[in-house]
Amino acid sequence: MLNLSPQKILIVEDQAVMRETLKHILYGMNAKQIIEAENGNNAIAAMIKTRFDIVLCDYNLGAGKNGQQVLEEARHLKLLPFSALFLLVTSEQNPAMVLSAVGNKPDDYLIKPFNGQQLLNRLERCFIRKSALADVESELDKGNLYQAITNCETLLAQHDKKIRMQLLKIRAELALKISDFKTAKAVYLDVLLERDLPWARLGLAIVAYSEGDYFDAIESLHELTEQFPMLLEAYDWLAKAYEATKNVDGAISAITQAIELSPHTILRQQQLALLADSVNSLDLANKAYKAAIKLGRNSVHKSSSDFSGLAKNLLKTKANSTVLNLVSELLEQFPDDPEARLRAAALETEIYRTLGKNELAQKSYEKTVKLNKQFGSEASRELRLEIAQTCFQRGNTEIFDQIMQELIKTNIDDKKFLESITRICTEMMNENYAESLIHRVKQELVDINNRGVSLFKEGKIKEALAVFEQAISNLPNNQTIVLNISKIMVHDLKTSGGDSEKIQKAQAYINKAIQLGIPHDKIGGLQAELARITHHQHHSR
Amino acid sequence: MSDSTTTAVHFPAILASSVHDMKNSLSNLRALISQLESRYPDNKPPEFKLLEFESNRLNNSLMQLLTLYKIEASQFNVSIDEYSVRDILDEIVAQQSSLLALSKIELVAECNDDLYCFCDSTMISNAISTLVNNAQRYCRSKILLSAKQEEDYVVFYIEDDGAGYPQHFLADTQKYYGIDLATGNTGLGLFFVATIAKMHRNGDNFGFIKTDNDSHLGGARFSLYLP
Repeated sequence: MLNLSPQKILIVEDQAVMRETLKHILYGMNAKQIIEAENGNNAIAAMIKTRFDIVLCDYNLGAGKNGQQVLEEARHLKLLPFSALFLLVTSEQNPAMVLSAVGNKPDDYLIKPFNGQQLLNRLERCFIRKSALADVESELDKGNLYQAITNCETLLAQHDKKIRMQLLKIRAELALKISDFKTAKAVYLDVLLERDLPWARLGLAIVAYSEGDYFDAIESLHELTEQFPMLLEAYDWLAKAYEATKNVDGAISAITQAIELSPHTILRQQQLALLADSVNSLDLANKAYKAAIKLGRNSVHKSSSDFSGLAKNLLKTKANSTVLNLVSELLEQFPDDPEARLRAAALETEIYRTLGKNELAQKSYEKTVKLNKQFGSEASRELRLEIAQTCFQRGNTEIFDQIMQELIKTNIDDKKFLESITRICTEMMNENYAESLIHRVKQELVDINNRGVSLFKEGKIKEALAVFEQAISNLPNNQTIVLNISKIMVHDLKTSGGDSEKIQKAQAYINKAIQLGIPHDKIGGLQAELARITHHQHHSR
Repeated sequence: MSDSTTTAVHFPAILASSVHDMKNSLSNLRALISQLESRYPDNKPPEFKLLEFESNRLNNSLMQLLTLYKIEASQFNVSIDEYSVRDILDEIVAQQSSLLALSKIELVAECNDDLYCFCDSTMISNAISTLVNNAQRYCRSKILLSAKQEEDYVVFYIEDDGAGYPQHFLADTQKYYGIDLATGNTGLGLFFVATIAKMHRNGDNFGFIKTDNDSHLGGARFSLYLP
């Protein structure tokens, strides 16, 4: 039987009576270390102080954060070790469907009412499952996708029926993460052969989407949402697929359906706002921005861009000085956030300009330039683009050039983003500006690669590595450079060996390559070689 | 505003929101009961167990009404996964046995440890709990819960040692849900179980229910077939 005495337990529940009842049950089961929190903020504060083994968190916590938002913030701040259990307590009978936010699920749901024996059973079951999956989860936690896959395969070979389906699901999701669509598809098809499960069908649609078969994806996702109206993730993918086919109306209608079924997801409101903005549906965008701002008060996903989005939306319809209130609200909501300060200054410039208050606009603009100098490089690319445009409008082509160059360098593989840069530049000056910039960066890339590769071929490993390492600080997100440096490091390890630090470094580059979306057929072999080297090292010691 | 069409359109929604409100109210009530209960560290009055039993029953019924409403409104689908049947039965025993012990009724669960089934475990647990509650009213001293694989189906059996179902009831279960206001049998539980069973589907096979008097214990037997 599960021994609760060494477990640190946190109870998050707004009603004192319920807290008492839970404590009573847990003490009755030999629990010794129980901390209570009556709202989300106190729960987060408690988790910052103590690493808990079990968190029992009610969904409905009154005015502030709800339980799902507590979970999201705890995961975001990394307050929950992968071995910890987070149980969401609810009276909702279909919680996985109704409450689940995108990609952030608790370990389990506890449906009220429950008695002590039921709670104990559930905790026991969760711990058994958790420890069975520990080998996979711990590697996932460290970002070692390939090791997680190896461990997942090992567990699958043990044919434990209790966790088999979950393992298959994880296996397919891991395959998707490393862009190994063939394996993902095979796993989903295998599962479907045994049983028509919605998650496997959704998985197949995701594979279709990832392989660029957008119309196939749209068709199967439509079927899926008709048959399983509460499968909210399906609407999210449907919106993505529509967006990929440039059917913004389709995307808007998919997201709207998901929002109607579950209105409290900030990420969907934010997405809806951007989509609506992009087709000038001002009313719809306005509503979605407002909803996102409201939900943001309690959410780790809150974003200062919702405020500027709403403000600009209002400037288009009824421009008056009350829009300035949003600037102060923004600053109030993000007190220690340099990006928010920068955004507020840029927004203020835009508002004053629209209102025709040129002196004030100039003042705000000067503030923007100053803040941009301080924090600009850390800001999100959307904001940087915005600032570049503001500077251009004010005649400061120097900052404009600088930002554009940096944005192109850091996003050289992102076709969609480069397209939007080109569009903006064409609107503002001439067609050739962005294209020649992009061309220059690409040429620089080719030169660096040629230099690095020829050094490598001459056997000058150290020099080749130096070339690529320097290139990475300048062009951090380029697939070719990261792939090449990974190749050289693995080759170097293979021929002249190395310590664990060197191995870790190589692994970090491979992980970065996966993160950049380099597909399995290009990186898988390299990872396997590194695994052999690591394995060999372990055994030769 | 008060013409009959608007009333007809709105009534199900009003019913659903009222049920939701009743559920909240009930959960407050339970909290108050447990507050009262904590004043009796020893020698707890037996009425507390009865209060728990009745509030469980009430909660089950409200939850069933709400689920049935959502099914009608296309806001519900079963969420199917593979579960250990032993875990499902254990869950029901955990929920019910201390309450049943009060009326000196023994609840026994029997099944193979390596039996697994695809289902919506929350809904199925709720359905079986309802059936156990039903059986409790008609049994003498024992309820047997069991499950086994029968061709393409996993079958859950709820058997008791009572007098068995009356003949007219056995004639046509699907139509007749045993509505009998005198005994408090509204037919809701059975209707819910049948509806949830039917929502479980595997290829061309759908879930269904069966009632007979072939209980090992000599009374009624209820069978829930899941494909």
